[in-house]
Amino acid sequence: MSMDQALQTYIEEGRSLLEEMEDILLQLENEPLQDDDTVNALFRAAHTIKGSAGLFGLDAIVSFTHVVENVLDKLRDGELAVNGDLVELLLKCRDHIALLISVVAESGELLDAEQERTGEALLAALRGLLGVAPMEPASPTVRDTPVEASGGGMMEGDCWNISLKFGRDVLRNGMDPLSFIRYLSTIGDIVSLATDDSELPDLAQLDPESCYLGFMIEFKSEADKKTIEDVFEFVREDCTLRILPPPSHLAAYIERIEHASGNTDMIGQLLIEAGILTSHELEETLAAQEKLVAQESGARVPVGELLVKEGVVQKEVVDVALEKQRQIRDHKAQEAKFIRVNAEKLDELINLVGELVIAGASASLLAKRSGDLVMHEATSVMSRLVEEIRDGALKLRMVEIGETFNRFQRVVRDVSKELGKDIGLEISGAETELDKTVVEKIGDPLMHLVRNSMDHGIEPGEVRTATGKPARGTLRLNAYHDSGSIVIEVADDGGGLKKERILKKAIERGIVSPGQTLSDHEIFNLIFEAGFSTADQVTNLSGRGVGMDVVRRNIQALRGTVDIDSEEGLGTTVRIRLPLTLAIIDGFLVGVGKSAFVVPLDMVLECVELSEADRKAADMRNYVNLRGEVLPFIRLRDQFEVNEPAGKRENIVVVQYGGLKAGFVVDELMGEFQTVIKPLGSIFRQLKGISGSTILGTGEVALILDVPALVQLSVASESSMAE
Amino acid sequence: MAKTILIVDDSASLRQVVSIALKGAGFDIIEACDGKDALSKLNGQKIHLIISDVNMPNMDGITFVTEAKKLPAYKFTPIIMLTTESQEAKKQAGQAAGAKAWVVKPFQPAQMLGAVSKLIMP
Amino acid sequence: MQINVRRENGACRLEIEGELTIYHGPEFRSCLLENLPGCDETEISLAGVTELDTAGCQLLLAAKREGLRLGKQVRFVSHSLSALEVIEQFQMAAQLGDPLVIPAQR
Repeated sequence: MSMDQALQTYIEEGRSLLEEMEDILLQLENEPLQDDDTVNALFRAAHTIKGSAGLFGLDAIVSFTHVVENVLDKLRDGELAVNGDLVELLLKCRDHIALLISVVAESGELLDAEQERTGEALLAALRGLLGVAPMEPASPTVRDTPVEASGGGMMEGDCWNISLKFGRDVLRNGMDPLSFIRYLSTIGDIVSLATDDSELPDLAQLDPESCYLGFMIEFKSEADKKTIEDVFEFVREDCTLRILPPPSHLAAYIERIEHASGNTDMIGQLLIEAGILTSHELEETLAAQEKLVAQESGARVPVGELLVKEGVVQKEVVDVALEKQRQIRDHKAQEAKFIRVNAEKLDELINLVGELVIAGASASLLAKRSGDLVMHEATSVMSRLVEEIRDGALKLRMVEIGETFNRFQRVVRDVSKELGKDIGLEISGAETELDKTVVEKIGDPLMHLVRNSMDHGIEPGEVRTATGKPARGTLRLNAYHDSGSIVIEVADDGGGLKKERILKKAIERGIVSPGQTLSDHEIFNLIFEAGFSTADQVTNLSGRGVGMDVVRRNIQALRGTVDIDSEEGLGTTVRIRLPLTLAIIDGFLVGVGKSAFVVPLDMVLECVELSEADRKAADMRNYVNLRGEVLPFIRLRDQFEVNEPAGKRENIVVVQYGGLKAGFVVDELMGEFQTVIKPLGSIFRQLKGISGSTILGTGEVALILDVPALVQLSVASESSMAE
Repeated sequence: MAKTILIVDDSASLRQVVSIALKGAGFDIIEACDGKDALSKLNGQKIHLIISDVNMPNMDGITFVTEAKKLPAYKFTPIIMLTTESQEAKKQAGQAAGAKAWVVKPFQPAQMLGAVSKLIMP
Repeated sequence: MQINVRRENGACRLEIEGELTIYHGPEFRSCLLENLPGCDETEISLAGVTELDTAGCQLLLAAKREGLRLGKQVRFVSHSLSALEVIEQFQMAAQLGDPLVIPAQR
């Protein structure tokens, strides 16, 4: 028997099968209702023609008959009904197969173009019945399964490590481990093989048909992991198989992972791409993961961890893959989320948006005045959009505070060394965003607070242990958003503030009078007063008097507030509250003559009318009686030399700053409004009492009052007059 | 002593080609054209491996495998089922009946030889 | 498979003829359970083994372990070529612990 003879058999067999097909088809034409066997015979004929064609490598027959077989399969399953058209089509297909057998199998030639076209047309009609797109990968033509050469270079004595544990039933299923191991030795060298008989029971308990053995094999081969795994494909479901590549291959795998295409960021796919993991192993691991999730209710063990734990892939390789995964993700994240923009460009944009807000306000004002309702409508829509643009533009400049916080890791490390204290830094809320301009300015005050906490707040280790605290002190930096502000906390678990000592010192320094009663909170906040330092000893770091008052001033310059909470023995928390951005201010607009001024809204306490009596009295003195309290005030008219005469009525805007109250005397109260701050040019830097300017809708300029400076001024002049 | 393989398929040409390939590797071959024919060959003679198609006239492959597994002399004989890609259900049924190995049709003679070599040596 | 059993003076000799495979596992196991406990020394000749499979190997290992457990001698002798080949393939010579005589013709 030779292949030629076998081919002859095939041709004869094909002819007789085709005759059978023809008979059945003609039967069907006459009597569409046939029993299952008849239709099945039709299917089997096509199936056999296809199957055997594959053996001879007659791909043209395989691919055409495959589609015919699919249609017959549907017919057999009752998904297609027999009718005249179908029988007609199938008869034509039968004829085409006959043609293929005589041309391709018998003469070993190809169909001519005309015949090819007939075949294509038939296939199209068949696919129409199958309801699939004509582009469907036509058929499973005979595939070669080439044994891939391994990418890693082989080294002498460097072996794959295969561990095999067979299921109890493999022998009963006719699968003999011996055969697989023999086959294994045909694709490489079994350097050593250890039989694991630890599960073999005593003779009396042993079931001679069960398999109890496992094998550890050192295997030297050029084959890749998939090829080795395929040796065991028939027992794959019934055995535990671990194939670890030779250590010398690891470098190659690691290199492949490092140079991975980046098409996937899934750890399993990365490892498969590198060839160190097979898809079967991944499926198993994923199934095991699901099982664990079900068992331990929710806790999902990462695939990488599981692969290492189960000994499927070496840890060093998984580590590299995890690193690569992180890189790919970072890269993707950056690609997707960030573009780098020059900060100056951004500032320019925000500046322009500011101008736009002002121009928009002016346009709406004009529209309002014109009384044109449609125009008014249009401008109000525009104003709303402009506001959204402004908010959006400001958001562009928001950055996370994390980077600023992280700088303190080093500071805490260095300072704690210097002080000989063991202090750890904990950071939370690092993702909280605030305006870049604020971030730039908050560094110094934060540095001061952090050093202060470490120096004065956290006690030396021995003191801590004596009071039952952990020897290691903790400093916490935290940030969060709270109603339009960002709050930054610097907290320590140190000794806390000592009220008596603060009070004593404040009295010594004349900051408070001895009889004054103060709340705890007020006492704590005394440490922000100028020239206040309670440290018993002056260290290199802080406690030189230029202390917390500077911090407070810096924060207030950012239109922020600072506040302190403390519990003796437990620790201190300093809380800084800052506006999210410095570019916009919620202001209170007041008028003096024709001039307009803006008072930052968060400093305004109340507005009261200046009574006739007070007006008269106020000519002589710079204070009024506000519900029994002395309220020093400043006449903005005098302060800024507004020349128009005062109106009939005057009002006092009561402001508070740093625990001090003062009043500004103005003509007109024009209400709240949000505005974009335009910094003053450098030639106006010397101006006392003005912190910036803004442009009103009317196009007029309004000056933004520097409340802290003015309050200082009024309190100072009031007390100097009192003297 | 050469080992014996029983090949069951209704296509004579397929049996012939497989025979040529396996004989070349040193096996003895017995052919059967369907399940019924195959069962009659399981008459006590030593058979080391069975290769069987699924869809055959008279007795299909699944029934044949189930019957063969009942015979004491052949209950541990490894069986390779010839499956088709589109017949995952048949493959499952074959495995349940006891045919734990499979080769997907259409295949090349070398592929068949590879599958056989994993299960028995000549 | 056929097992010839000869017992004299507390010693026992088992001669296995034919296939030592899964088909004959239960039989071989019963024979071992019958003879090992009562004999101080059991010699099992593998000279007539025409085929050995994993199930057979398992029983060889189990027999050896049973001997150790009972404090009796269990020896495999005169391994046939087929048996030797399998023992070599599994690299089980050390586990079985009997001297293997490599036939001259190999």
